[in-house]
Amino acid sequence: MSIVGKERIEVIAQSIGITNLSPDVALSLAPDVEYRLRDIMQESIKCMRHSRRTTLTADDVDSALSLRNVEPIYGFASGGPLRFKRALGHRDLFYIEDKDLDLKDVIEAPLPKAPLDTAVTCHWLAIEGVQPAIPENAPVDGRSPSTGSSLFIVISVPAEAKKNEQKDDNLPVDIKLPVKHVLSRELQLYFDKVTELTLTQSESVLFKEALVSLATDSGLHPLVPYFTCFIADEVSHGLSNFSLLFALMRVVKSILQNPHIHIEPYLHQLMPSVVTCLVAKRLGSRLADNHWELRDFTANLVASICKRFGHVYSNLQSRLTKTLVNAFLDPKKALTQHYGAIQGLAALGPNVVRLLLLPNLEPYIRLLEPEMLLEKQRNEVKRHEAWRVYGSLLRAAGQCIYDRLKIFPTFPSSLPHAVLKTNARVLMSSPYKRKASLEQLEEQPPLKKTNTDGEVGVVLTNSSPSHKQGEAGTQASSVDSIIGSSSASEQMKNDTISNAVVRSNKVDTRSWKTSAALAQVWKDELNSGRILVSLFELFGEDILPFIQAPELYMFL
Amino acid sequence: MEEDEIAGYVTAYLKKKGFTQTEKIFQEEFQTNKTNSSPLEPDIAKHILSFSQLESGPARFHDGYSRLRSWTHCSLDLYKHELLRVLYPVFIHCFMDLVAKGHVQEARHFFNTFREDHEMMHLRDLQKLEGVLSPTHLEEMEFAHSLRQSKFNIKICEYSYELLLQHLHSTQSTTILGIINEHINFQVTPGQPSSIVDDPEAVTLSGSSQDAANQINQKEIHWGLLEDSLEERLEKASSLLSDSEKGEGEAKEGETEENKKRPVEGGKQGASIKKVKKDKGGSATGKNTKAEVNTVSAAPRVKPELPMPIIPTEVEQSILEDLRNRVQLSSVALPSVSFYTFLNTHNGLSCSSISHDGSLVAGGFSDSSLKVWDMAKLGEQTASSLSQDENDTSQNPQMGQSGGGKRQYTLFQGHSGPVYAASFSPVGEFILSSSADSTIRLWSTTYNANLVCYKGHNYPVWDVQFSPVGHYFASSSHDRTARIWSMERIQPLRIMAGHLSDVDCVQWHANCNYIATGSSDKTVRLWDVQSGECVRVFVGHRSMILSLAMSPDGRYMASGDEDGTIMMWDLSSGRCLTPLIGHTSCVWSLAFSCEGSVLASGSADCSVKLWDVNTSTKVSRAEEKSGNASRLRSLKTLPTKSTPVYALRFSRRNLLFAAGALAKNG
Repeated sequence: MSIVGKERIEVIAQSIGITNLSPDVALSLAPDVEYRLRDIMQESIKCMRHSRRTTLTADDVDSALSLRNVEPIYGFASGGPLRFKRALGHRDLFYIEDKDLDLKDVIEAPLPKAPLDTAVTCHWLAIEGVQPAIPENAPVDGRSPSTGSSLFIVISVPAEAKKNEQKDDNLPVDIKLPVKHVLSRELQLYFDKVTELTLTQSESVLFKEALVSLATDSGLHPLVPYFTCFIADEVSHGLSNFSLLFALMRVVKSILQNPHIHIEPYLHQLMPSVVTCLVAKRLGSRLADNHWELRDFTANLVASICKRFGHVYSNLQSRLTKTLVNAFLDPKKALTQHYGAIQGLAALGPNVVRLLLLPNLEPYIRLLEPEMLLEKQRNEVKRHEAWRVYGSLLRAAGQCIYDRLKIFPTFPSSLPHAVLKTNARVLMSSPYKRKASLEQLEEQPPLKKTNTDGEVGVVLTNSSPSHKQGEAGTQASSVDSIIGSSSASEQMKNDTISNAVVRSNKVDTRSWKTSAALAQVWKDELNSGRILVSLFELFGEDILPFIQAPELYMFL
Repeated sequence: MEEDEIAGYVTAYLKKKGFTQTEKIFQEEFQTNKTNSSPLEPDIAKHILSFSQLESGPARFHDGYSRLRSWTHCSLDLYKHELLRVLYPVFIHCFMDLVAKGHVQEARHFFNTFREDHEMMHLRDLQKLEGVLSPTHLEEMEFAHSLRQSKFNIKICEYSYELLLQHLHSTQSTTILGIINEHINFQVTPGQPSSIVDDPEAVTLSGSSQDAANQINQKEIHWGLLEDSLEERLEKASSLLSDSEKGEGEAKEGETEENKKRPVEGGKQGASIKKVKKDKGGSATGKNTKAEVNTVSAAPRVKPELPMPIIPTEVEQSILEDLRNRVQLSSVALPSVSFYTFLNTHNGLSCSSISHDGSLVAGGFSDSSLKVWDMAKLGEQTASSLSQDENDTSQNPQMGQSGGGKRQYTLFQGHSGPVYAASFSPVGEFILSSSADSTIRLWSTTYNANLVCYKGHNYPVWDVQFSPVGHYFASSSHDRTARIWSMERIQPLRIMAGHLSDVDCVQWHANCNYIATGSSDKTVRLWDVQSGECVRVFVGHRSMILSLAMSPDGRYMASGDEDGTIMMWDLSSGRCLTPLIGHTSCVWSLAFSCEGSVLASGSADCSVKLWDVNTSTKVSRAEEKSGNASRLRSLKTLPTKSTPVYALRFSRRNLLFAAGALAKNG
């Protein structure tokens, strides 16, 4: 514990020219020196505390020395903390670098800039105990659970707190005028009524009326900041209340629809809540809550926002897609979050899907597959979720390919190969059959198989070799062709088909004549063809309904 | 055991101790008794044996302590934490004994071996002690001195006590036993050991001076509020107003007020000074429903012991206006906080102060300057956010600004050392500043000039505070005294001496009859202003006390220390109601809201915390009964963006002002 040893005293003595210091003196001097040092440090800590600081400076030591009537040590005026350097070759030896300065240089050097003068600024740290979200205050961390908080950080547009609080820069001089917000009594009543409706009776007719009013009335603009705040608050607190969330999203939609409302400045506050409703881990507390519906609704909402304001906020869509893709690619996130992300991306349009979703499709499906199988995933809810995700992926991919194919009004060739290939695969690999049939089950969740899904429209439940019938269920006109092709494929079911082009040559026996030129187009658009092929590999024949009937006819 | 042998031991012991006379007598007696052969009990013989070996050297401290330590650590879990408390006093006294006997090397070795055990609880003390390396240091150092002179009070249950004694006797650790007898005062409580939760009173230091402290705390203090205060008048006025609504004429108002006052005062003269104020006005009309007024009037009224300055009527009017417009605060209605941030201070801001209406902000700098900003004016110029509240309340005469718009502040120069404290007079026309140059200066914000320089302290003046009524002020200094001054005299009126170390902060009681001082000796003292006597000593803090606040009803006091602990004290009993734990660094400032329901604390950890005072006092009362330690509620933490909070002030309308210098991070 002794910091000052006998040796140090000897060294110090030598350095000031005392060579004949007896060891006894050094020995008895050392503890006393140490005691004095500690005494000085104790006093300097007092000085530090009274200067309201928590770091000790050389000034404090000087004041402590003067308290003890000792001359201060010169040469250590501290502007900032002292910079100690480690002495080479010694582990615990430090020194302060003391550079030699040429006086000439010092004199000739330009005068340093005068330091800024001290100033005082003023802001609200809290208003009635609540901290306003202004730049001067430390950021309040998002209190919403799980994904909510991370999304808040990702999405929120920084530094544009244009709310009703004052906003002054860090510069002391220009404090901007506070915007005084005056609400008429009528508007307040209106706001109170609408919020009350949203919170309590979102199923009532009155609420629908309110939504219509929100979407059409012209005088509502002063209420927008309050609505955005209200929505943000309620979403962050009410993630377990499904009906409330849905009602809130409908309010958002109505506000967005209103042509008289200038919503842009508040978008950054609105977006986190909306995105939360899209990709939160849990929406609603009960199993019966159809949060899929909410997610779909919100996905469309997000897409409409992007369409409308994408040109104003150039980074809006990129931020959004980034968030969604991150959610989609993170295997740790729940399937519900993946679903939301996929739906959101799909709603943003086929191009987004093609660029962001499809490249990641294959590995993702591979991850998803075990979740969907009865043997691997015992938890029915989980399995159901997995099938949901699968369905949404399918739909997204299907729409994408549909969109691609639409470009070529008389698109010919890719389809047949596709059909062929599907059939071949189906026949070759029995697991696929099972999967396909399960897929139907998924599309109409096991409990309610009765309704037919408009998108996919497959009623197939049999697992006969020619379950092409199922597909044909909705497209009766193409039944024949498919059966035909299937028989054709049956004939050559042992063909290993690796190359699309090769296949096209083989299968196009019947349609070859239709257009050689179209084959050319096909080659040009190899990309979309490849996409299609890969989709088939992943989805099987479920992708078929997305391909327009005309092409199927073409095929005939 | 052979008697001769015993006799041998005894004579050896007596020789060693230099009791030659006794030795002779003993030998004589031994010779005569030999025939009688009344054998000494072997037990005693053993003791004598060990005594004769007593002076064998410093190792016995080491051995004794390590034996006690290992025994304690092996003891029953239920009693362990109680027994562990004994270790620390034994440890430091062993160490000091070793040092005192000159075994410096052994002392060091001993200290280093066992210091880790106590570092968590007593790091600061250990750091102080480890520098003590010679007997003279022990004499010199006030901390060691006070340790030597005082006794530790340790609460311990009956069984633990027995266990301890048994152990010490069975192992014949006479050294340790001696230390325990000499320096520890056991307060044996019957029944089960106290709960493991750290009871602040489990181990307390008391000594010759501290015994006096207990006596001191027996003294009666009158913590009531001043009679005829403005608040009381307001209350009366409001009740009168309601009367006049009934139809009474305005002209009668003055008369009735006087009529009502008279019987109250008459009663007070009869009774002693402590006199519960009869809420005549309120009860007569029964119309007064203001909760705040009721709580205030619940406090007893006392007479001022100092002649009080007269408040000008216009000032009185503005204060009354403020009181009428006061916002009611409670655990559900939190205050608004306006934060003044000092920018570009270059690490030089050493204190800050805010006037009662929040319109003036002063900063004391280490370059000896004092700068005052008129925020109301600043607000007008740039239309700052503090629009109405401030402009209404700022009745101050306008300040002639010398800089002509160049500088936003008024610069007061005159000190020749860092300015450690500043304090505004209640109306805001004067500022006091105290500095390292051992002077206190009085400045006028009206004339922007230095009016008086008060010299009296011999060392840096750490703190200065205007009394709640103005005119008088108190200062505290490194010279271990606190002093009371009045504005018109350059000599102090009273000198309060008694602290064992620097007096770091000072605060007036609401009725101006007392001041409280916090010191580096980790105690808070309450002094009677009239007599200059210490009337309370509050022991319990573990480090230097940095801030004090008195509740507006005069009943409670809060003190904040270097570690971030805040303690709430009951003035009349002198006991800690409850420690408020939450801050992680120095508590620079404390403030009670005007009706006393909320305590605000500002700390170096860059946050303002709001505490619920009502529950804290209530809970602790329940705590006393049930013995259940439950901490009081922290209502809210308001973090700043890396600005340590130097000063806090509730305006009379209960708007909270806070100030601090922005610290650059990184």
